[in-house]
Amino acid sequence: MSWGLAIWASALALAAAALAVTRDSVVHALLLLLAALVALGVAFFALASPFAGAIQLLIYAGAVVAVFVFVIMTVEAGPEARARERALLAGAWRWPAVVAVAALVPMLIGLGGAEEGTPGGVGAAELGLLMFGEWAVATELVSLLLIAGLIGVRALSRKGRDGE
Amino acid sequence: MLAYLLLLVPMPPLGGFLLLALDPYRLDRRAVQAAALAAGCAPLLIVAPLAIANLSGAWGDQVAPIFTLGVGNFEVALAMGIDAMSAVAALTVAFVSACVMIYALDYMSYAGTPDLRRFFALMNLFVAGMLAMVLAADSITFFLGWELMGLCSFFLISYNMTSPRAFAAGQKAFLITRIADAALLAGLLLLFLEAGSVRLAELIPAGAVAEPVRGSIIAALLLIGALGKSAQVPFHTWLPTAMAGPTPVSALLHSATMVAAGAVLLARFAPVIEAHPVVAGATALAGVTTALFGAACAVAQTDVKRLLAYSSISQIGYMVAAVGVGAPAVAMAHFVVHAAFKSLLFMAAGVMSHAGGGSTAIDSLRGAARATPIAFLCYAAGAASLAGLPFVTAGWWSKEAILASALAAGPLGVAIWAAALAAAVLTGIYAFRPVLVAAATPAQPRRRCREHPLAIAPLVVLAFLSLAGGVAVAPMTELMGGHPPHPAHWVEIVGAAAALGGLAGSVAVVFTPALAARVRRARKLRAGLQFDARYYALLVRPYRRLVRHLSGREGAWVDRLGRPPDGATADPVGQATVALGLWLRRVVLTPFTPDRIDIAWMRSAAGIGRVAERGRHLQTGRVRDYALALAVGLAALLILGWGMTWR
Amino acid sequence: MTGLNALLALSGGLFVTGLFGVLARRTIVLQLVSLEIMLAGPALAFVAAGAHHGSVEGTAMFLLVLALAAAEVAVGLAIYLHLRRHAGGGDADAATRLRR
Repeated sequence: MSWGLAIWASALALAAAALAVTRDSVVHALLLLLAALVALGVAFFALASPFAGAIQLLIYAGAVVAVFVFVIMTVEAGPEARARERALLAGAWRWPAVVAVAALVPMLIGLGGAEEGTPGGVGAAELGLLMFGEWAVATELVSLLLIAGLIGVRALSRKGRDGE
Repeated sequence: MLAYLLLLVPMPPLGGFLLLALDPYRLDRRAVQAAALAAGCAPLLIVAPLAIANLSGAWGDQVAPIFTLGVGNFEVALAMGIDAMSAVAALTVAFVSACVMIYALDYMSYAGTPDLRRFFALMNLFVAGMLAMVLAADSITFFLGWELMGLCSFFLISYNMTSPRAFAAGQKAFLITRIADAALLAGLLLLFLEAGSVRLAELIPAGAVAEPVRGSIIAALLLIGALGKSAQVPFHTWLPTAMAGPTPVSALLHSATMVAAGAVLLARFAPVIEAHPVVAGATALAGVTTALFGAACAVAQTDVKRLLAYSSISQIGYMVAAVGVGAPAVAMAHFVVHAAFKSLLFMAAGVMSHAGGGSTAIDSLRGAARATPIAFLCYAAGAASLAGLPFVTAGWWSKEAILASALAAGPLGVAIWAAALAAAVLTGIYAFRPVLVAAATPAQPRRRCREHPLAIAPLVVLAFLSLAGGVAVAPMTELMGGHPPHPAHWVEIVGAAAALGGLAGSVAVVFTPALAARVRRARKLRAGLQFDARYYALLVRPYRRLVRHLSGREGAWVDRLGRPPDGATADPVGQATVALGLWLRRVVLTPFTPDRIDIAWMRSAAGIGRVAERGRHLQTGRVRDYALALAVGLAALLILGWGMTWR
Repeated sequence: MTGLNALLALSGGLFVTGLFGVLARRTIVLQLVSLEIMLAGPALAFVAAGAHHGSVEGTAMFLLVLALAAAEVAVGLAIYLHLRRHAGGGDADAATRLRR
């Protein structure tokens, strides 16, 4: 387990994310998102949580980004769109930036004071025991959430009801 | 615990009054009569066992507190209580009220009175007031009952509202008793200051041990209060004219209960009176003078109700005199006996006069013996008791007790005894006059009238009591703490002779034409020695003149304040007050005319609306704006959290 | 500064970056992308804390967060497609029907 590698990878992820939110092309933003998520996966591997890393790469960087790609295939991304996006961003970044910084500063200052822990890796077996042992209820609730999401998506995408 | 039943005693008539007085609540005639009957007879049912238990010694003297109020250093503790005297009085009052109420059920249907409800409501209120007064253990409840009785007397005397004579009679009664009540109130207040408590058990001893001057003043004030209510000289002028009210009213209020309330007052406060010899002597003199005066005037009357009114005045004079010579228990015994036969006399006279066409003149009673024999016999029994026929009537026993007590009270007592004896002779004369007239054969033979059992039953009961009740006089006196006097034999013989002499005199007056003519010509006596006329000239006329003078010829001066003063008004105080009021209104109220307040209010309401309008712009419906709000909140919370750890 | 603190700082930075993106961008797709970045921040924090303490609960929390993010992306994109068809053509500011 290497903290240095984890920090390096997370810093990369942060940089990618910062770039992602400021692109005027949707495709570029998406690709940078992918980069951020992959970097995070690397960080997880560096933190001796291979299961978390694997899941991150599979689902976050895999499935979620794939869904995004399906959707933006239908979005026009020509130069006019990019120009429009740039104009919109130019006019709207000030206050959000202030608020973001205002939210960040206390978080940074409040760091420290974590108790000395025993760093170590975690395996999938322990994870399974926890998820379906102590945290079984939470797991069930999350599965309920996924079902709800599924139903919601199906309901929203029905073509029969128009003008609703 | 059981003492709280005492509080229940005046409740039925009070409830009856409320039920009958609530106008929107429709009641038909039968319901009114039933309610009146129930409410009038219920107190007897409640108080009889209590009184008998107390008198027989099984139940000691009780006091049931109503409520207590602490005022500074004093304590005002209202209560009702029972002891021998109030037990006897309450029993009498409840019994006679029940009898009269039953009688009135029949009597009032004769007159075809349209507003029976009002009559019975007021009668019930009166009964409640009298019971409250009799059972009171503190001066406030006592005075409350006293005043309530006076009020009901006014309403009942002037019951026939269309008759100006009745109304004037009620007014006169009310005013005169009110003046006396003021004296009574003053006396009670002075007693309160002496004793520091309102309970009678503490007031009476305090009055007895008060220093001579103050105590005499208190006793004199109480005496004046009693004299006024009991229609004694010089306050007697209201009772004969009060006969303008219906007969049951006369039977209950103005013979048995209310007018005798003064005697009850004196008997109750007897220790106070006896402790101050001057006032005691004045009481005895006032009592016996009234007895003589009342009897004399009664002899000359031509109206049976007025005759009985003067008779009441005279008999209560006996009671007052008994208190004056130091025998309050004997006075109370006479109160009980008098209540029985006087109410009987009034009711029987009412029945006989109804049979004779409604007029209450003695001459119209001629032939009533044949028309209404039972009523006549009852009347005769009552008259015998009134005159005090020896040994067979209760009146004899109680009057003899009074005469004997007077004789035993020293030299002044002898004079009182002599005067009372003379009054007894006159009593005999006037008592039997209506009896003999009624027994005489009329010009035209009269057929037998139907006598309703409701009217007759009370008469019979009371007649029985008037005759056989003599045996109870001595035990009653003892129970009430007095000593039944044992007069020498010659005193009894003289008393018997007086009563029989009165009977003989009555026969003589009725059947001897010369004497009858003398009596008919005694106009001054008939008019009560013109006390009425003299009071009118002395007091009423100048007062009215003064009122007219103060009201001004052009109308009340208060009206002139609205106009600019012409310098001739003599009421600067009133004028200044009105001017001040007008100025205050202009300065203080007009700036706050409803318009301005209203406008300010509406403007503030509109302001709220405007704020809401502006606030509406916060709701853009855009996700980003809401997200911004959330983010700002989050940042603020984080800063707050950081700040709170900053130590 | 310890490794954990650095990672926590970085996760805070990820979160704030995502926040900025949600507030500043008007296109719904880009807002969704920013939301993903926002969710990645606490995910990193959880895993880092779990590694620091050697506890499996960090990874378990990360799994829950991941499930949440997946569901949210699915529904969000469905809404985006719906809105693009019916109202505003993908502009977040055009969907103002919640105003009333």
